Amino acid sequence: MGEQEKVNILMVDDQPGKLMTYEAILNELGENLIKARSGKEALDHLLKTDIAVVLMDVSMPELDGFELADMIRQHPRFQKIAIIFISAVHLTDLDRLNAYQRGAVEYISVPVVPELLRAKVRVFADLHRKTQQLEMLNRDLRTLSARLMAMQDEERRRIARDLHDGIGPLIAALSMNNGLLAQQTKKLGPEVSEVLQQNNQLVEQLSKETRTISHLLHPPLLDEIGLLPAIRMFAEGFAERSSVKVTVELSPEIGRLPPNVEISVFRIVQECLTNVYRHSGSKTARIKIEPSQEKLLTVQVCDEGKGMPRTNGVPVAAGSNHGVGLSGMRERLRELGGTLDIQSSEHGTTVIAAVPVSKTMVKSL
Amino acid sequence: MRTRFLIVDDSELVRKSLRTVLQANPEWEICGEAADGESAVALFKELHPNIVILDFQMPGINGIETARRMSEIAPAVPIVLFTQHASSDLEKHAREVGIRSVVSKTNAFPMVGMIEALLGPTDPDPGAKESASPVKE
Repeated sequence: MGEQEKVNILMVDDQPGKLMTYEAILNELGENLIKARSGKEALDHLLKTDIAVVLMDVSMPELDGFELADMIRQHPRFQKIAIIFISAVHLTDLDRLNAYQRGAVEYISVPVVPELLRAKVRVFADLHRKTQQLEMLNRDLRTLSARLMAMQDEERRRIARDLHDGIGPLIAALSMNNGLLAQQTKKLGPEVSEVLQQNNQLVEQLSKETRTISHLLHPPLLDEIGLLPAIRMFAEGFAERSSVKVTVELSPEIGRLPPNVEISVFRIVQECLTNVYRHSGSKTARIKIEPSQEKLLTVQVCDEGKGMPRTNGVPVAAGSNHGVGLSGMRERLRELGGTLDIQSSEHGTTVIAAVPVSKTMVKSL
Repeated sequence: MRTRFLIVDDSELVRKSLRTVLQANPEWEICGEAADGESAVALFKELHPNIVILDFQMPGINGIETARRMSEIAPAVPIVLFTQHASSDLEKHAREVGIRSVVSKTNAFPMVGMIEALLGPTDPDPGAKESASPVKE
């Protein structure tokens, strides 16, 4: 087994002899043992150090074990600490119940069996270590996921820009050249004119395809004139491609927002509409973006489809793509400090994203 | 007197095609070219063109902002936004900054006719127009 990080175990008892006994029993675990002679001293340690397990006597002068447990549990940071009571008195079932109701994980009576106490503390110390590791991994994953999403946005923006700068001018030049030729149709004869006509149609189709790819990758209007025109333009294109009738209600007072908010809101709407098309079977979709409070933007996308499948009453993703989409939305919102709410029934689904914004938006009456 | 065009586009290829198309009309000439908004505004001040053909998405300031600055200098000079992203929203923004017309780059056919309509029958004198016709709607 490799080196593992030590966790802190706090032992609280007003009798120094008992503290020494616990120390002798638990030394073998190789963890950091901290001694406190009173409830107050214990609280001092708790505030300064990250404690995994508290081992405490029930009967102590001033602050007794139960009172100390109450104080510990009231503090959100201490909710996960494992509390083990040791008591020579208070041995009824009611006392035990009292202890468990205060959040104790164990209630041990004297005389203490050293092996048992050691084994119990070891379980909770390991649990604490694993929780810490999981929390750290979770934080790393969140950071990675946010970075990946930002990189994906950047990459999409780059490809769209390459299409615009590379292929766009070629199409424009072709179109203009065709225009010049078209002015000379008399000289060209009917067959050549016919080919020219076909070429024009091909250029137009090429342009349309390129434009669609480029707009799906990254809408040009988003950077240049803002979120609302970009959403409207995307919705128009989506309605045309999907035959889903889209209504768009956007409060004009929203104006320009920070680039990370604009791209995230745009991607959320894009993802929602993709889901409407792929999974809901709805023929309609409604996008509504408005300030719901002074510094909060609400983005709503509703459909009249069959709704999402549910597990334990909670709407869940239908397919893997859908799933990535939903968690992607959640992650984007988490990054912005926002929330995602999904209301789904057999009459349709409404996705509501709340996004905090730094500027004040006054809702027009 | 010939009508003088300022053409603004970050693509040399597009500027070249524009030159070919516009110069097909012997009454029209290109008085200047720019590849970005800032230098376009400087040329606009210096050359007093009769009409501007302006790209939308360019490095630096975009076509809308460029047009806004040009309209502040000489609001009567018609500006045509020539873009790959023609849409009703863009058109609305364009109108607000004094752009007279939005032409799609990928369907440039109507451009020549549109320019002729903007310039009016035979009066390409910008000075006369500027003082006579008031500014934006």
